Amino acid sequence: MASSSSRGLTFKLHPLVIVNISDHYTRVKSQLNLPPSLTSTSSAATSNNNNNNSNGGENNQQKPPRVYGCVIGVQRGRTVEIFNSFELIYDPSTRSLDRSFLEKKQELYKKVFPHFYVLGWYSTGSDAQESDMHFHKALMDINESPLYVLLNPAINPAQKDLPVTIYESELHVIDGVPQLIFVRSSYTIETVEAERISVDHVAHLKPSGGSAATQLAAQLTGIHSAIKMLNSRIRVVHQYLVGMQKGDIPCESSLLRQVSSLLRRLPAIESEKFQDDLLMEYNDTLLITYLAMFTNCSSTMNELVDKFNTAYDRHSRRGGRTAFI
Amino acid sequence: MDSAIAQKTWELENNILTVETPDPSSDSIFYYDEAAQAKFQQEKPWANDPHYFKRVKISALALLKMVVHARSGGTIEVMGLMQGKTDGDAIIVMDAFALPVEGTETRVNAQADAYEYMVDYSQTNKQAGRLENVVGWYHSHPGYGCWLSGIDVSTQMLNQQFQEPFLAVVIDPTRTVSAGKVEIGAFRTYPEGYKPPDDPISEYQTIPLNKIEDFGVHCKQYYALDITYFKSSLDCHLLDLLWNKYWVNTLSSSPLLGNGDYVAGQISDLAEKLEQAENQLAHSRIGPLGPPRKKEESQLAKITRDSAKITLEQVHGLMSQVIKDILFNSVRQSSRSQNDQSGPEPMIET
Repeated sequence: MASSSSRGLTFKLHPLVIVNISDHYTRVKSQLNLPPSLTSTSSAATSNNNNNNSNGGENNQQKPPRVYGCVIGVQRGRTVEIFNSFELIYDPSTRSLDRSFLEKKQELYKKVFPHFYVLGWYSTGSDAQESDMHFHKALMDINESPLYVLLNPAINPAQKDLPVTIYESELHVIDGVPQLIFVRSSYTIETVEAERISVDHVAHLKPSGGSAATQLAAQLTGIHSAIKMLNSRIRVVHQYLVGMQKGDIPCESSLLRQVSSLLRRLPAIESEKFQDDLLMEYNDTLLITYLAMFTNCSSTMNELVDKFNTAYDRHSRRGGRTAFI
Repeated sequence: MDSAIAQKTWELENNILTVETPDPSSDSIFYYDEAAQAKFQQEKPWANDPHYFKRVKISALALLKMVVHARSGGTIEVMGLMQGKTDGDAIIVMDAFALPVEGTETRVNAQADAYEYMVDYSQTNKQAGRLENVVGWYHSHPGYGCWLSGIDVSTQMLNQQFQEPFLAVVIDPTRTVSAGKVEIGAFRTYPEGYKPPDDPISEYQTIPLNKIEDFGVHCKQYYALDITYFKSSLDCHLLDLLWNKYWVNTLSSSPLLGNGDYVAGQISDLAEKLEQAENQLAHSRIGPLGPPRKKEESQLAKITRDSAKITLEQVHGLMSQVIKDILFNSVRQSSRSQNDQSGPEPMIET
C-alpha cells in the first residue's frame, strides 16, 4: 500500500506534535491499567483488560489502544509545516467521528493560534490499515487532501529511525477502479530555537546555572555530539562510495550525482563580505570580553580601595591625626 | 560509546540528580486517580502551612508547549493555564494550554476574560480523556527574568485563596534562547502578613533597571519551588530517536544572529546600572561608618557578574560560528588559527 510519493510536497514536522501524540497514547494506556477497585473512565477507542506491558504481562496479549487526533499547521506553497495537534473522539466500531467535538476544538485553537488550520489527522499503530481510510475520507470535507501521521508506539531499542510516518492519499486506478490509497511521504524535522532548547533540556537534562565551566561543558557537549553525528553520516557515505569503487556495490549514478553536488557545495560561503562580517563579529565579541574584564578589574580594585581605606583610616584616627571629613 | 562515559562523569561531578529512565511500569505518573485527588482536595493540608508545596514536576509535553507559546509571543507577554494534579508536597503539571489573552502586566483581570475559553477547553479535554484539573497558570516575561511582578503577586494571592492548589510559573523565552537553557521559575505566594521563617536563597538573576523596583518591593512575598521534569518511556524513546534527525538543527543554530537585539539591550541596561553604581560609590567615601558591612554584594559586584554572563553567552555563540566556519569553509586549506576562542574563557571565572 505504501510507495514513495511523487507529489512533490515537502513536509516539516515539529517535535511538539510527536511529544503530543506520545503523551496522548501514554495517558490513554495508563488510564486503562487501573487497580482492580476502580472502574475505567477512559473514553478512548477500544476497551481492554488491565495489563501493564503490551508485550509480556500476565495471560492475554493486550492490544494497545489506538488514539486518534487532528494535526494542525500551515501550508505555504509546496511546503506543509505541522505545528501542533489535539485529540479527537472517534469510535472505530461504529466508524463515527464526533463532529461537534472537532468543530469545538477547532474553534478553540483558532482563537489562540489564528494562523493554523487543520492539515490532517494522526493515529498510533504499526502500519496504515484499510479502516483508516474511512477516517481519512471523513476529514476530506475539512481539508481536501488531509495527511495521515502514524506513530508506532512500540518501543524497540534496536530501532534507529523515528517511528513516525506521514501518509498522503492518492487516487490510483487499481483493477480499473479508481481508489484512494495511502502513499508514504518523507518529512524533515523542523524546529524553532526555543523548541530545540526545551527538547534538549528534557531529553538530556542539561544543568541549569552552575559555574562558567559547566555551562561551557554543556555547550561544547552539545556541539560535539552534533559533529559526531555528522562525522558518522559522512563515514557511511564514504564507505558506500569505496564499496562502489571496488565494485562490491553496483554503481548508482543518481546517488553519485547527489554526492558530487553535495561536495561541490563546499566551501559553504567563500566571499569577502562573509569574511569581513565574521571578523567583525569576532571583534565585537572580543570587545565585549575586554569590557567585562575591565569591569571585573575595576570592581576588584574598588574592593581593594575599600579595604585599604578601612585599614588605614582607622589607623590614622587612632594616631590622633584628623581624617578629612 | 565514550561520549556516554564522558556524560556520566560530568553528571557525577556536577551532582546532577538524573531522573531515572522510566520503564513502562513507572508510567504510573500518567494515571489520574480521581478518588485520591478528591480526597486530597477535601483534606486541604496546605491550608495550615503556607510553605506546604515544595516541588514541582513538569512533564516534557507541558514544558515544550509553554516554551513554544511564550516564544511565539515575541516581546509581548502571553499567558496560559496548566493542568495536573498534586502528589504529597509536589504539584505535578501534566499539560498546559494557551489562553487568548495578551499583556498581563497591565491588566489584573486578564483571567476573567479567559474564563469562557477555559471552561470550554476543560470540557472538551475531559471528553477527550484528559481528566486532570487546572492546577496553575503560566505567563512569560520576555527578556526580564523569572520573578513575580506586583500585579502577578496580587493575582496569585487571589488564586491561592479561591482555587487552591494553584501554582504560578514564569518563563523567559528571550533568555532561554540567549543562554541556551530553559529559563523557568515556579512560585507560590505567602498569604497576607505572613513572614517567612528564613530568607530563602534564590539563584541570582539580572533584572533590568526599569523593573528592579517592582522586583524588590515584592520579592519577599513569594517563594520559589524546585522544578524537576519527567517524561514517559515512550517520550524517552522518541526523543532519543529524534536526536538522529535534529542534530542538524543543533549544529546550524546561530545564537549570535538571533540574540543581537537582546544582547544590545542588556549592555545598555548594564551601562545605566554602572552609572547608578558610580553615583552610589562616590557618595559613600566616608571611612568605616559609610559602607554597610558586606551583607549584600555591592552594586559593582553584581554588575561584574552580569557582564560576565553576557560575555559568556556571546563567546559561546561565537564558538559555534567559528566551528561551523572551520567545518564547512576551510576546505581550501586556509590558514585559520583554531586556538583563539579558548583564550578569553578561563579569565571569566565567576
